[in-house]
Amino acid sequence: MHFRTLRIRPWFLILLLSFLLLPSFSGAGLREEVFETVLPNGLKVLLLENHKAPLVTFQVWYRVGSRNEEWGKTGLSHVLEHMMFKGTEKVGPEKFTRMIQENGGNFNAFTSYDYTAYYENLSSDRIQVAIDLESDRMQNLVLRGEDFRTERMVVVEERRLRTEDNPQALLIEQIMATAFQIHPYRWPIIGWMEDLSRLTLEDLKDYYRIYYSPVNAFLVVAGDFKKEDLLPRIERAFGSIPRGVAPDQEKRKEPAQIGERRVLVKKEAQLPYLVMGYHVPNIPTSDSYALEVIAAILSRGRSSRLYRNLIQEKRLALGADADHSLLSHDPGLFYIAAEPLPGKEVAQVEKALDQEIERLQNELVKEEELEKAKNQLEAAFIYSQDSLFVQAILLARYEITAGWKAIDDYIPSVRKVTSEDVKRVANQYLIQDNRTTGILVPLALQKRRPLPEGSPIRERTIQ
Amino acid sequence: MRKALKILILFISVFLLLWLGLPSRPLHALPPIRKMVLPNGLVILHCVERSLPFATFQLLIDAGSRLDPTGKEGLAYLTARGLLLGTSTQTAAAINEKLDFMGASLSASSGRDNAILSLRVLKKEIDKGTDLFMETLTRPAYPDGEIQKEIDKMLAAIQSAEDDPGTVAQKAFQNALFLQGPYRHPVEGTKESVKQLTREGVLQFYRTYYHPSHSILTVVGDLTAEELKSKVLPIFERWPRKAIPKKPFPIEFAKGPIIRKIDKPITQANIVIGHKGISRDNPDFYALTVMNYMLGAGGFVSRLTEEIRIKRGLAYSVASFFNPGKYPGAFQIVLQTKNSSAREAIAIALQEMQRIRNEPVSEKELEGAKKYLIGSFPMRLDTQDKLVNFLTQLEYYQLGLDYPKKYPSLIQSVTREEVLRVANRYLHPENYILVVVANLKEAGME
Repeated sequence: MHFRTLRIRPWFLILLLSFLLLPSFSGAGLREEVFETVLPNGLKVLLLENHKAPLVTFQVWYRVGSRNEEWGKTGLSHVLEHMMFKGTEKVGPEKFTRMIQENGGNFNAFTSYDYTAYYENLSSDRIQVAIDLESDRMQNLVLRGEDFRTERMVVVEERRLRTEDNPQALLIEQIMATAFQIHPYRWPIIGWMEDLSRLTLEDLKDYYRIYYSPVNAFLVVAGDFKKEDLLPRIERAFGSIPRGVAPDQEKRKEPAQIGERRVLVKKEAQLPYLVMGYHVPNIPTSDSYALEVIAAILSRGRSSRLYRNLIQEKRLALGADADHSLLSHDPGLFYIAAEPLPGKEVAQVEKALDQEIERLQNELVKEEELEKAKNQLEAAFIYSQDSLFVQAILLARYEITAGWKAIDDYIPSVRKVTSEDVKRVANQYLIQDNRTTGILVPLALQKRRPLPEGSPIRERTIQ
Repeated sequence: MRKALKILILFISVFLLLWLGLPSRPLHALPPIRKMVLPNGLVILHCVERSLPFATFQLLIDAGSRLDPTGKEGLAYLTARGLLLGTSTQTAAAINEKLDFMGASLSASSGRDNAILSLRVLKKEIDKGTDLFMETLTRPAYPDGEIQKEIDKMLAAIQSAEDDPGTVAQKAFQNALFLQGPYRHPVEGTKESVKQLTREGVLQFYRTYYHPSHSILTVVGDLTAEELKSKVLPIFERWPRKAIPKKPFPIEFAKGPIIRKIDKPITQANIVIGHKGISRDNPDFYALTVMNYMLGAGGFVSRLTEEIRIKRGLAYSVASFFNPGKYPGAFQIVLQTKNSSAREAIAIALQEMQRIRNEPVSEKELEGAKKYLIGSFPMRLDTQDKLVNFLTQLEYYQLGLDYPKKYPSLIQSVTREEVLRVANRYLHPENYILVVVANLKEAGME
């Protein structure tokens, strides 16, 4: 649970981290509140003072994720994230975690397609601990073969836990691998199992050298500090780290899809699962805000269309969701998904989802429904600001994708979306030729053993 | 998976919630808390937090699944969920439309001890929001058709959860551990019991238990004392008082060793090892909190993580926890490892339980645990959601509003000898109940 990989599996994240996916803004702009500077070595620093609690979140973001990997070496970013806790010349293995926790702090790290991030949340009077540890491991990481072999085993267990034994997660993985043929969003963040065994210590060393440098990183600090006090401390700790060379961040564009792709995953499972992924533009385009609104109309709240129609009225699905990854470095997918109720056919559910899309394409959304979706998005952002940790993450994700200042454009841009925009965008992107449809086909659970499942067996000993 | 995570998070958050504590220095983060008791018996806790224009309301009703009648497991859960299915004057669809239009969220659910109704609403919509909150609470219609749909969903969710090996293991563990008692069955019931639920049963449960005298309302956010008095109190004062029957709970725990093996075509063995735990009012709670941090709750510095994950690479996650409630819950160690490592990981987990019983912990390790527990406290209160939960639990367990002040010394006073004593008293590695959900053949456990 500690080195959590924050993978973009939208509906799981909606459940767990909905605040992360609700980029929006209200009230006074963050442009006035956030202080930005770039140290001479290229390290960007974003500082957001907020004194409501005596706490800080200290975050280091590297502009490297699975999109920077190569075919055959997938999962490298995430394995390196794990190895970042294995010590430096100064700080022995596992000392890092002990130091943070003995200072009453929490820490973790997460890897995504576009970034790898590290954070410490702690009392503001302990911030120096985070500064020292993070600046040290930005340049002095020691990568040992012995640690690598054990940690790779841990990552393999992580993959088993998250993906191998989770039929829905396997389906999402297959959809991405089908929807993307050229772009690196094709492979899972955690990597293919076969690739994990192929990674070498040399791969890690090269990767660390190329991507972990001030010019490819930035800091976000939010909470109870004084900028005049904190900035010199950051400069002292990070300022002397050699700049590094800005890595090439260009990736080949995924060509337009020329017809629907369908993929099946057959696994032992109780219920089927249906997911459709449509190629859509990402944040720099105004259409992406219309897609935000569409996702809200479809699945935000119990009055949303999917909930009302598929779950309540037609009683076809146990759950249904739409999600749009606005904050994506490169164009990603807009998802619609549903888990059919027992006894319902996938085809029925697919038809019902298609009808919802067609309705968006053929009818103008009524003014009140549009207003409702915008109100929800705006309220969600206000709520999300309650956690400084979450706010800092959001700021960083904007920085990765569109520059942090774009966070202030979110609510105005959402507010600008018209019912005509919704219709036009639905007709432009949410079309059959542009989608990959994935279906989890449950295999009947085979009777593997004579004893029925769950039957108790009493034993006296165990080896 | 998402269900597994939800369940895990539920367990962990329940546990963390109960780890109330304060940093060694004054916690100026915590604004003053006001407590009042209405004539109908409702306890209200209020805390003003005005940095953002919204407020969070949480109502705890002492009506959790522990009160489910035998054979009707899931009734408390359905009764709580049913609050959202419409009232005597409005349909669920009408209520949902209004809530969504103002960007509010209203949710209802139940746990093993109590039911929770909560509302998050923007400052400008507080009047409308609290009206809907109150209407939902006091005038639910429980329409037959909607109840039936909810039952179908509960059954489907129970079925779907069978795909999650962690959940399967957890349910089997609770079932094996509790021979009798309030926590034996899953909150959401079983596929047999849910089929027995009816609207009549729901109405009866609601009429019996949904009353103010055993409820706690916590309000945190942008709402002043005057606003609370003029806008919120009059609504809740109208909630009529009624006595609630007391129900005795005979509790009986199984004595191990007991092994339950469940075969599934999966790559990892999902393992739960544990036994009887404690209730929240156990005076050894604090010593156990410190002990368990070192054993398996302290993340990367815990012994279980060090031995199983860091040294041997056998698991991504391994943790131990007590799950204390109004009544004694379980102690458990939860981990997942590839099938073929199951036996090795189980053996190490049991060894670590034994080791902390045999050898006193070092002063250094003890200090590290205390520093974390005391120092990390403010982070448990840094959002409205966390604060609302904290305050409600504070009241529910009668810990007193001065509890935050007392906590550092409660933790600080734990000694090495006490850690050894509670490890011996509350850990029973020879009496374990072990559940393994795995490909049993690969695990060598057929």
